[in-house]
Amino acid sequence: MRNWPVITLTSLSLAVLMVMPAAAQMAEKSVVQDLPDVAPSQDYCISVMSAFPNGDSVARYQFFKLTEKMAVGSTPEFKAALKHYGDGDVPPETPVIKIIEAIANPVMRQAAPELTIAYMGHLVNFAGRCETYIQGQVNSLLAYDAAFANDDSVISEDALYLRQILSDSLLRLKADKDERYSFAVNNYATSLVAMRDDIEFAAYAKDIDEIEALYMTDLDGRLARSNDMINSEMNRETLGDAVSLSDDMNKQAKKQADRDAIGTLLRILNRY
Amino acid sequence: MSRKFILTLLLGSSLCATGCATTAKGVSASAMKSTAVATPYRAAVPEGTTLAVVRYPAHVDTDAQDAFYKAFGQNAVGGQMSRYDATSPEVQGLADSIILKSNYFALSLYKELAERLPEHSVLLSPHLIKKGADGKLTSEPMTQAESLANVVTVDFVSYTFPDSTKMMGKEPLTFGDLVTPLVTVKTDYRAAVPTQGLLLASRPLIPHAATNGKEGATETLAAMQSGRLAAPVPDLDFVAFLNGEAGFVVPQKPLARTGDVNAVRSYGLEKVKLDGAALNALKEGQSGVIDPLESTFSSAFANQIVGIINNTDTDIAAMAGRAAAISQFDESLGALTLVGSEDPAYATRLRYAERLLEAEKNYLSVQSLRLFDGVHNGEMGAQVRDMLKAEYDILEQRRSLARKQNTATALAILGAVAAGAAIANGGSSDRCEDSRTQREYNDCRRRAERTDYGNSVLTNLAIQGAIVAAQEAMATNRRSKAVGGNYLASIAPALEEQQTVQVSLIDSNETITAIRFEDLKEKLQTLYTKNQRSLDTVATRCAYNHDGAVKIGTWMGVCDGGLASGSGVGVLRNADGTSIEYYGYAQNGRPSGPGYMIHHDADQSYAVEGNFSAGLANGVMRVSKSGQADVLRNYQAGQDIGAASSLEAVSSPFNGPVNMTAIN
Repeated sequence: MRNWPVITLTSLSLAVLMVMPAAAQMAEKSVVQDLPDVAPSQDYCISVMSAFPNGDSVARYQFFKLTEKMAVGSTPEFKAALKHYGDGDVPPETPVIKIIEAIANPVMRQAAPELTIAYMGHLVNFAGRCETYIQGQVNSLLAYDAAFANDDSVISEDALYLRQILSDSLLRLKADKDERYSFAVNNYATSLVAMRDDIEFAAYAKDIDEIEALYMTDLDGRLARSNDMINSEMNRETLGDAVSLSDDMNKQAKKQADRDAIGTLLRILNRY
Repeated sequence: MSRKFILTLLLGSSLCATGCATTAKGVSASAMKSTAVATPYRAAVPEGTTLAVVRYPAHVDTDAQDAFYKAFGQNAVGGQMSRYDATSPEVQGLADSIILKSNYFALSLYKELAERLPEHSVLLSPHLIKKGADGKLTSEPMTQAESLANVVTVDFVSYTFPDSTKMMGKEPLTFGDLVTPLVTVKTDYRAAVPTQGLLLASRPLIPHAATNGKEGATETLAAMQSGRLAAPVPDLDFVAFLNGEAGFVVPQKPLARTGDVNAVRSYGLEKVKLDGAALNALKEGQSGVIDPLESTFSSAFANQIVGIINNTDTDIAAMAGRAAAISQFDESLGALTLVGSEDPAYATRLRYAERLLEAEKNYLSVQSLRLFDGVHNGEMGAQVRDMLKAEYDILEQRRSLARKQNTATALAILGAVAAGAAIANGGSSDRCEDSRTQREYNDCRRRAERTDYGNSVLTNLAIQGAIVAAQEAMATNRRSKAVGGNYLASIAPALEEQQTVQVSLIDSNETITAIRFEDLKEKLQTLYTKNQRSLDTVATRCAYNHDGAVKIGTWMGVCDGGLASGSGVGVLRNADGTSIEYYGYAQNGRPSGPGYMIHHDADQSYAVEGNFSAGLANGVMRVSKSGQADVLRNYQAGQDIGAASSLEAVSSPFNGPVNMTAIN
């Protein structure tokens, strides 16, 4: 169904470490990351968006949607926690595929959870600051082909997987015990349960939708055919015959009544 | 002269007996119309809940036909019978036409409700009238439309008085352009405790429908006592009426009164006249899209029902039906759904269950849509419309004959009056014996003889004219009755065929639906089971100790140590026939926390909602009793200590799950 390997996150190879931005690169703090969400920078947004797949509409939709879903529910407090526990900033032009591969890399999240947090922080920050741009991209791609939305449930599962990695990384660094950030971090962890519930329910509802549609269509067709068959067997002349018979009986009754009336009348008049 | 006078009196009395014929006018605007306010649907119901189920008699089982004809004659609505012969083809024609017309006109109501309520929320439930083991009539649904929870059920019957000679009288009639609807609108008895769930009904049916509701409650309680959540399907209220048993008295209020008083809105008998333009359009062949009942009755009645749904507590109305339906595939969840649970997994699990019920409801609605299509747009609908046209012609003939009869009667009366006047004025008033001379006497006698002769001729002519006119009036009356009787006698084969087709259609629809429905349910169940996680809190059965008395009832819900402890429902039945059911929270087997307690006494049912402590009402309680509006009362240790302010809050178990530690 999907033609981009992003969904198979768990099968990413260790080779991704080779293309990881060096810690030295990330040590260079970026000023744009400190800008508040309410003040999106056009240059920043365009710069990050240029790192999304460009030649393949399906992949482009999937990555934008994934980014959008990864940022859902990220409060300012949580973003502050990401900034605090993330190790350095990610250059805006870093290809998004590389970022996601890095987050999903099991070795890196064991060895350097700070880097995982930094990568996630980069995407969350981008999604928050450039929400309008992302939404515009998603909408225009859907307008191009509405079938892209068919992958939404799988993208949601991938987003949940990545969010779970982030939550685990934060716990590994004991952010949940940090007085300053524990509330936001624990809330985030709890929200993942609700998100998983929603995703599982969406899958269940989709299965039911399919079964329901299949059975309802099938039933409708069967009943329509049955109705046609039964209706075609009905003899429409029976009622006509009954009405004719009634008319004949009425005429006969009228004649008889007229005869009786004349007879009675004669008898009455003869008395006077 | 005295013979003539007697003759005139006899003539006058015979005219009085024949009387002026009525022309079966009917009302062009039903009382439903003048009391209905069209409001859009604004209620909300849990998923998988049907808003309205339209129930009607669709067929009479062969074994039950004689009993049906007999009961039809013995329990008539709206008049006195002059003659009744359950075996006569005319009477059987009337009885059969009730079934046929109910089948047809119920669809009009279904269509109107479906237009006003959300998609897939209105279902048709045709009933088969059968003879029970005790010889009484009973009815059972022919489809599974009533297997799901619903907010209201609407019973519809188009009724005709069982005396074919009174078709043109004041008695109820469904024939030609006249329809006499008999209806009841009910919700679950827990949502309208004082009236046994009855909200609006045709006046003659009210006590019988209330009995039906009470029996349903008794059956439900018996099932709960044995640990089952059940939602029994009651007989049609019309069938309960035909059985003629003593009715249960519930307070009534006028149809126009929609206030808060706990009473049944009473709808009087009326012969609704179908839309004349629509009937004429039927003759012009646009039959498929014409609904002659719509503008005069169904549309207004549908508005009434939407208003009723808007004003009904839909959560309470649907809770028991929903719990029973959920119990069928998840017993540990069923009773928890009555008032909810704080277990985090509960909400998740309930969402899955509701989606499953929604799928079942949507599926069953296809069946109703196809039943409507098969009957209304099929050959049977076409035949019923042909029949309506034929009957309309018959009725018009009879109306014409009635007008002639009235003219003849008027002439006869005029003749009788003239004859009476002539007799009264007949003979000389002079007393010839008082003449003073023979000449005066002779002149007096001659004058008197001339006057007597003239009056005699005039009187004879007047009497003969009156007799002729009366004869014509009586002949016309006989002819009119013959027109109706002949039609009813000859229509039997057509009615029989239409019923056969109707039943084939419903049976076929149900057979196809049931086979596929079972298959669907199995698939849904598999999907549901596969996706479920475990519940920490589950519903089981244990003891409900009510107020600590010796008697032990049954609790379905959260239990601890064999006693009610948490949310659920408790039921206690006493030896004297009274019973108590309680929805809410309990501790140590007794009501504790927010609760809704229903008392069923011999002569009434009432509800108390609020906070309970150790089984007793304690705090501000909402009390719902028949014949009065709900009131707030202060209770202390089960004792009513006075009125409470209407501004005070009442604890309710239906406002969302409550933490048991907060109750402790």
